[in-house]
Amino acid sequence: MTDNAGFNRIKIKSHRKINWQQQGVAYLFLLPFLAIFTLVNWYPILKTILSSFQEVNLSGFKGWVGFFNYTRMFGNPIFYTAWKNALIFVLLSLVMGTMVPIILAIMINEMRRLSSFFQTIVYLPALIPVAVGLIVWRQIYSPEGGILNSLLQLIGIPPQLWLQNPVLAKPALIIIMTWIGAGGTTLIYLSGLREIPLELYEAAELEGFSVFKRILYITLPSISARIKILVVLQIIFVAQVFTEPFILTGGGPANSTRSPVLEIYDTAFNRWDFGLASAWSVSILVILATFSILYVWWSQRKHAGEV
Amino acid sequence: MGTSGNRAIMSNTEWRSPVGRLIFLFYLFLLTLGSILVLFPFIFSFTAGLKTSTEVFKSGIHLFPEEWNWGNYVEAWQRFKMIRMFSNSIIAAGGGVLGQIIVSTMAAYSLSRLKPIGKNILMAIILITLGIPVMAVLVPRYVIMTDLPFIHISLVNSFWGLWIPYASSPFMILILTNSFNAIPREIFEAAQLDGASEVRMFFKIAIPLSKSIIFVLGFLAFIALWGDFLWPYLIMRTPELQPVSVRLYTLTRYAPINIFLAGSFIAMLPPTIAALFLARRIRGGITL
Repeated sequence: MTDNAGFNRIKIKSHRKINWQQQGVAYLFLLPFLAIFTLVNWYPILKTILSSFQEVNLSGFKGWVGFFNYTRMFGNPIFYTAWKNALIFVLLSLVMGTMVPIILAIMINEMRRLSSFFQTIVYLPALIPVAVGLIVWRQIYSPEGGILNSLLQLIGIPPQLWLQNPVLAKPALIIIMTWIGAGGTTLIYLSGLREIPLELYEAAELEGFSVFKRILYITLPSISARIKILVVLQIIFVAQVFTEPFILTGGGPANSTRSPVLEIYDTAFNRWDFGLASAWSVSILVILATFSILYVWWSQRKHAGEV
Repeated sequence: MGTSGNRAIMSNTEWRSPVGRLIFLFYLFLLTLGSILVLFPFIFSFTAGLKTSTEVFKSGIHLFPEEWNWGNYVEAWQRFKMIRMFSNSIIAAGGGVLGQIIVSTMAAYSLSRLKPIGKNILMAIILITLGIPVMAVLVPRYVIMTDLPFIHISLVNSFWGLWIPYASSPFMILILTNSFNAIPREIFEAAQLDGASEVRMFFKIAIPLSKSIIFVLGFLAFIALWGDFLWPYLIMRTPELQPVSVRLYTLTRYAPINIFLAGSFIAMLPPTIAALFLARRIRGGITL
């Protein structure tokens, strides 16, 4: 008995020491993650910050230039245009991209037998490659035989140059982005709606609450955590818009759809000015930092409460 | 969990009442309208792909072609070498998903079960990584891929240049760590008493018990990688290696519009068919 107790004590004590063999196994399992994340995330982020203070071109490092890249970036009116465009893209997309999926989710959830049918339909655009969808949309918007103009003429609206008019180009792109993104968001809201305890609705019904009041006092508060996270995610995502203006407008007309990432792309891969492109990348990091922190914080809190 | 069988916001009795019928018709009208808007580009590219190219440019509403030129689809398939594009997309996205699953399950198992020193720091770093906007690391990532540190190999025109960045998913690691944490400890303890090694418990307990979440995460990752544009556009410079998203875009400059739209419609089909088959398994699986 006494021997056994002593043995246990030794075992407990040895537990407190680092078990190197176990640590070896633990880090062996972490090895692919550490190697790949260092190569494609952590080293690049360090390199972005360093390169923003360097002159770097195709042949590589040229020398340290202090804040020269930043003075060039802030001195170029495109910087303000691009970020103003990003802000307008974000605001327009929030108007469309928040309301539409919530309303869709509530309606689809209510549809009983038809619900899975509509659910599949709204998700379809999210499944096809963005570039393919965009090229089809380009033809829909086209001034030559574009079907959108023909349809609008039916209700007496004269033909518009959707992608060539600086006023219309941004909303035209946002419509496409909503077409692509609303389905995925709707499915996330739907999974939230299905978690709401049905007793809440039963009680509300017995109390004589109208459908509208039930949505207002039960449904929306129940999915508010998801709404917050998705809004922040959408801000982060839309502020980095690239493919839509790249394929459809090339940043035009009159720079009205020139986004920060498009400018990074041109600076880096058309003008091979990696230093200036890095300064731009740092501007994305800094401007989106608040939203990134909110996203990480809220999504972690949600998971901690859920899983 | 509430299923559509019992009730939603309205009870079944309410739903069948006259007011309920009105609301149903209102919802049905809006959803049908929405569905038409959603499906419109699909239908448009399908019928435009059957027209002659002069007919595509003709103004006015004529959704259906004067003559159904099915040959356009055959021509698009052969001329664009679409088998090639599709296999490239499958190799790129499939390898990426596989890499993501291998890297993430291993890391999550270690973080959840093996108590590595510095676990909390690692978790914090993963969270920070999750918050880094992808586009902010785009340029250095590209520079690194053209000249890997130490070994000085360029991964341009190599699938490894896609797979390696695709394999990094902080999101998947976090979700899987939570999912492994949720497996009852007793199961692992029992296996340990039987002398099972960590590797064995990883393959025989952790992975099988999380296979539905791995499936959903893998499917979502596959869709995202299948549609990825900018990264393969930068890495795959040779047309023969380009996935659907990139190749079709570069072809727009050279191909007649009708053939091109036929090709676009073909490119939309596989994910659509996959979605119809997988709808049941994905439903409810999409969370944040």
